[in-house]
Amino acid sequence: MYQPTEILIERGEEEAPVVQRALARLPELPVRIVEKDWEQEDTRPAGMDPFGAGKRRLFFTRQRARFLEHCPAGTPGLVCCNYLIVSLISNCPMDCSYCFLQDYLANNPTLKVFTNSDDLLDEVAQVVDRQPWRQFRIGTGELSDSLALDALLGFSADLVPFFAARKNVLLELKTKSDCIDNLLRLESHGRVVVSWSLTPPAIADAEEHGTAPFAERLRAARRVQQAGYKIGFHFDPLIEYPRWETDYRQALEQVFTSVDPRRVAWVSFGSLRITPPLRKVIRQRFPQTRLLSGEQVLCDDGKWRTFQALRVKMYRTLITQLNRLAPTVPVYMCMETAPVWQKVFGRAPGCDKDVARSLTAPNLGQEGTHRAGRRAEQLTA
Amino acid sequence: MATLNEQAQAQQIEVYAQRKRLSSITLARWQAWPGTDQAALFFLLQDLQCGENHLKDLLNWLEEIAARDERTIADILERRELRRARATPGSRNDKLKAVKVVLRKIRYPRLTRLEENVRQALKALDLGRTVQVSFPSDFEGDEVTATLTARNVHELQDGLSQLQQRLDDGRFQRVFDALDDV
Ligand code: SF4
Repeated sequence: MYQPTEILIERGEEEAPVVQRALARLPELPVRIVEKDWEQEDTRPAGMDPFGAGKRRLFFTRQRARFLEHCPAGTPGLVCCNYLIVSLISNCPMDCSYCFLQDYLANNPTLKVFTNSDDLLDEVAQVVDRQPWRQFRIGTGELSDSLALDALLGFSADLVPFFAARKNVLLELKTKSDCIDNLLRLESHGRVVVSWSLTPPAIADAEEHGTAPFAERLRAARRVQQAGYKIGFHFDPLIEYPRWETDYRQALEQVFTSVDPRRVAWVSFGSLRITPPLRKVIRQRFPQTRLLSGEQVLCDDGKWRTFQALRVKMYRTLITQLNRLAPTVPVYMCMETAPVWQKVFGRAPGCDKDVARSLTAPNLGQEGTHRAGRRAEQLTA
Repeated sequence: MATLNEQAQAQQIEVYAQRKRLSSITLARWQAWPGTDQAALFFLLQDLQCGENHLKDLLNWLEEIAARDERTIADILERRELRRARATPGSRNDKLKAVKVVLRKIRYPRLTRLEENVRQALKALDLGRTVQVSFPSDFEGDEVTATLTARNVHELQDGLSQLQQRLDDGRFQRVFDALDDV
């Protein structure tokens, strides 16, 4: 389990339920009561790896900004799936070498847990309940892993019943952990998708530090699925390296021999993308990484990706394989351009809502006619 | 390959860094390599004499190739095609250019092959200077631009019929095919 070096609590938040739950589970740790802006005023030497050190400081504080945001994939030029995000945690106890948080939270690395989850639920209710005709997909796995700290914080017990009670919204809990015990005690009514980000075992072992091994993630997925949840898989980042084809094919094979494809809400693919500052950080923090050795080029949105022809080949290879293994599972690509959609699926979505609908409608019991991607035989050759 | 004694090598690298005004980050990166790798690059730089920017490219590519192929940098620099490039006759700039072309090819084998195939397909179009064909940078996107330049109606007619002929005989198709062929 995650072991922080100290616990910090914003003055006035000591009695928040999540704080009490964590203190009960980590009774030995030193606790400091601090002002809300303590991080800016902290004058201790930063050390060799301030980001890594930040992950080991656990700070309970109130979120004062809005919780609900649009996913950053809505960048001009990229096809977007209209995903909303909410964050109850900022930064992650795990340490993947490619994680964008290393750059995004570089000046703000302390692992923060927001104490006002009731405000988050109010905010979501305001948006979702006032528009019952609209369908929403909301995820918590943007600024942290959705479940890695659930044994400590127990947020799933707040979130799952709230979303289970609503007909027009799907909650996605995205994880690389196997922390599912709390979920098994809750009823999701099919409105919660628990999804796993997967890379082949060779990459997971070398690059995803502190995460559950590939086989453990699959075991957890099977148990959650058997407990009535829908599940999803994200092959994101999709990493190009000398054995990518064999390893990813085997990984897909293993996934669909472990779980029932009929209750898989979606599978996504998204090429590894790295901003120039993140590239620098990765070099510094993980000098042995092989991630930067792929044939990556700087794209229009300012991110390095595998060059287009090769990533199209990767998408086609894996989506063809997926369609053989699980022909009815909706599939989409994350943060890709319309030309890449066109080359992979033979068409680009008419608008963002097309992709969103194709993922949300079938999973909210309204089988739509839309599919994000097309079947294998329709892939452009 | 000859190796310098460690202290002398460290000193020579420092002197090189001062002379070329390398940033402390670039120097530290080089110095973090194992001694034989440091020395191998130092010997290469005797021929190339490159400054900060070119050196950064070399450091990036060499580290990335070494990680991908699980080889040492000294091994990579011993490759025959690189030794041949180092021996290119001409100025230091010519040598540097030749070494970088070869190293980029090792670093980006499929991208450079695609570039070469596109170049061949363009050459086969044989359009002279009337029609220029260009691509988005690094072949991201799906637009190929063909620019036809004409000073009079005759030239325009000529250019158009050349284009039509290349379309009919499949040579243009081969340009588009080359863009997807990895
Ligand atoms: S699990 Fe996700 S959020 Fe956590 S370190 Fe890895 S990539 Fe980052």
